[in-house]
Amino acid sequence: MPRTLTDPGVVALHARNVAFDVSRTPLQWIRGDAFASHIISAINFMLPEGERWFCETFNEALPLIEDADLREAVRGFIGQEAMHAQAHDEVLGDLFRAQGIDTTPMVAIAERIFQQMLGPRNLPTAAARHKHLVARLALIGGIENLTALLGDWVLTAPLEEYDADPAVLDLFRWHGAEEVEHRMVAHDVAEYFGVGYFQRAGALGIAYAGFLLLLGRVAHDLVKQDPDMPDHSYARVWFELVRGGRRGTLPTLRSIGWSAALGLHPRFTPEWIGNTAQAVAYLAKSPAARAAS
Amino acid sequence: MGTTASDPLLHAADLVLRAWTRVGPSEVPATPRAHDAGLDLVVTDRTVVATDQDVVSLQLAAADGGRLPKWRPGAHLDVHLPSGRKRQYSLCGDPTDRSSYRIAVRRIPTGAGGLGGSVEMHDLPLGATLRVSRPRNAFPLAVPGHGSPADRLHFVAGGIGITPILPMLRLADALEVEWTMVYVGRRRDTLPFLDELSSYGDRVVIRTDDTDGLPTAADLLAGVDSGTAVYCCGPVPMIDVLRSGLLDRADVEFHSERFSAPPVVDGKAFTLELENTGEVFEVPADRSPLDVLAEAYPAIPYSCRQGFCGTCKVTVVDGKADHRDGSLTAEERADGCLLPCVSRARGNRLVVRADLY
Repeated sequence: MPRTLTDPGVVALHARNVAFDVSRTPLQWIRGDAFASHIISAINFMLPEGERWFCETFNEALPLIEDADLREAVRGFIGQEAMHAQAHDEVLGDLFRAQGIDTTPMVAIAERIFQQMLGPRNLPTAAARHKHLVARLALIGGIENLTALLGDWVLTAPLEEYDADPAVLDLFRWHGAEEVEHRMVAHDVAEYFGVGYFQRAGALGIAYAGFLLLLGRVAHDLVKQDPDMPDHSYARVWFELVRGGRRGTLPTLRSIGWSAALGLHPRFTPEWIGNTAQAVAYLAKSPAARAAS
Repeated sequence: MGTTASDPLLHAADLVLRAWTRVGPSEVPATPRAHDAGLDLVVTDRTVVATDQDVVSLQLAAADGGRLPKWRPGAHLDVHLPSGRKRQYSLCGDPTDRSSYRIAVRRIPTGAGGLGGSVEMHDLPLGATLRVSRPRNAFPLAVPGHGSPADRLHFVAGGIGITPILPMLRLADALEVEWTMVYVGRRRDTLPFLDELSSYGDRVVIRTDDTDGLPTAADLLAGVDSGTAVYCCGPVPMIDVLRSGLLDRADVEFHSERFSAPPVVDGKAFTLELENTGEVFEVPADRSPLDVLAEAYPAIPYSCRQGFCGTCKVTVVDGKADHRDGSLTAEERADGCLLPCVSRARGNRLVVRADLY
């Protein structure tokens, strides 16, 4: 039986009304790997601002999309991203601030990038405004290339073996599964707006390099605030990032690099990264998604 | 944001992004994607598929006999009826047949709670043309062993809810994945496709309300154990029974077709004024203000239409709001935020400001 018959194909996207109780979750929520815990948490600090920016940018693009199917997909995407932003924003308060972490410096970085650098701008001509929009759409395509890989990774990562907190694990797996489920959208939007190979490749480079540098930076900020960490140096964060990849508590740099290489292929389609059926199966089991739907 | 102003990493990011947002195309290409809104299909066959004569299956094909877009089990079509009504019907034929689609429709007379769409579908003659969407899948099947870690499938179908299940169980059968099904309805003669199911023997258990009584969660989940993926399609109360029956079963997958935009309950008609443009809209008792706005502004932001994602947020400028969402904080409401996908006016007039782009 060919894979084409067992693959569920493109899924009609819907936001899920989820909620997570992290009031009893420890700060080091992967108890068996504190550095991996803080490195994944660092992503949580980027997400609310980043995903709200996705929503704003896609809402801005919506009136220009005349393809009815793509417009529906974009609407589903926006709702899912809005829920991701809400859920991770609540975790910032209910987990990190509740455990005594000062979230302002990390959130300030995200605000600076997604509001000041990439936010709305008063540009003089229609052509400049359109260029600005398309460049941001291309960038979202690059970021979603990476989030598809990360989402696929977290669905099967052996984090239970390292005593990960079930609620936070469900948060990241629900999010990851939806990233896999909607991974075609940003790519299709970029294509619709005429993003060519070189712009796509450039966006991918900026997204991946930016993500890794910010990840190291924010994870370090978090590690520095946690007195229970054995080492507060920046070098240790990178050392542990590589080590987490070997253990399976973080994605390997090699898999991240491979997903970028796939993205650089001229005929790339996001279907090459991740497995829709696996994502659909997780969403049918996720405690939060089940309670919501 | 003084803390980040002089940061070298952010300074570099600023330079890169500033340059980045200046390059690229300056307008949407003229023909961005080949395919567009919908398909015009012809009714090529019409067969009665339930003993009570109230369910027909319709075969739809392109007028020129050409290949149709592919679909996967669980997919449906949005059918635009000649009267302007829009209905969704699950595809119940064979996904490998690219020359036609099959849908099935139960006739619900308007006196019995029907809204006229199914009667109109039943009255379509052979050769009639229907405008349909491309297939969309809101009920995807993750086959055990092909992405799903489950090892068997259990289907629960209620009456006409059998339609998306038929291609699923045929695929499971072809792949030799273990499966069972409970098929429920009011009476045996109302159940469609009994002939097609007869070849599956005792893997299909039929229960009807007239002889077996209303089914409980345990009846519907007979044989479900750890490692089962449950797929359910049927009336909303049946799905709710299963959902609560499976709430603590983290070892069981539960899939059901998701319904968007629940009907307005206890709505009152009111006048909605758009501050941006000065336009005035009449919102009827049975429609949401978003629905009415989206008719005039099809690109207005919205997504979940159930009051939780917050995408459609508008600002109330005048009038009292009747908040019905589950997501805005008391603070946001005090600031005038309102989700028009579910919320309404408390009085007979509401003035809002919306992002229209």
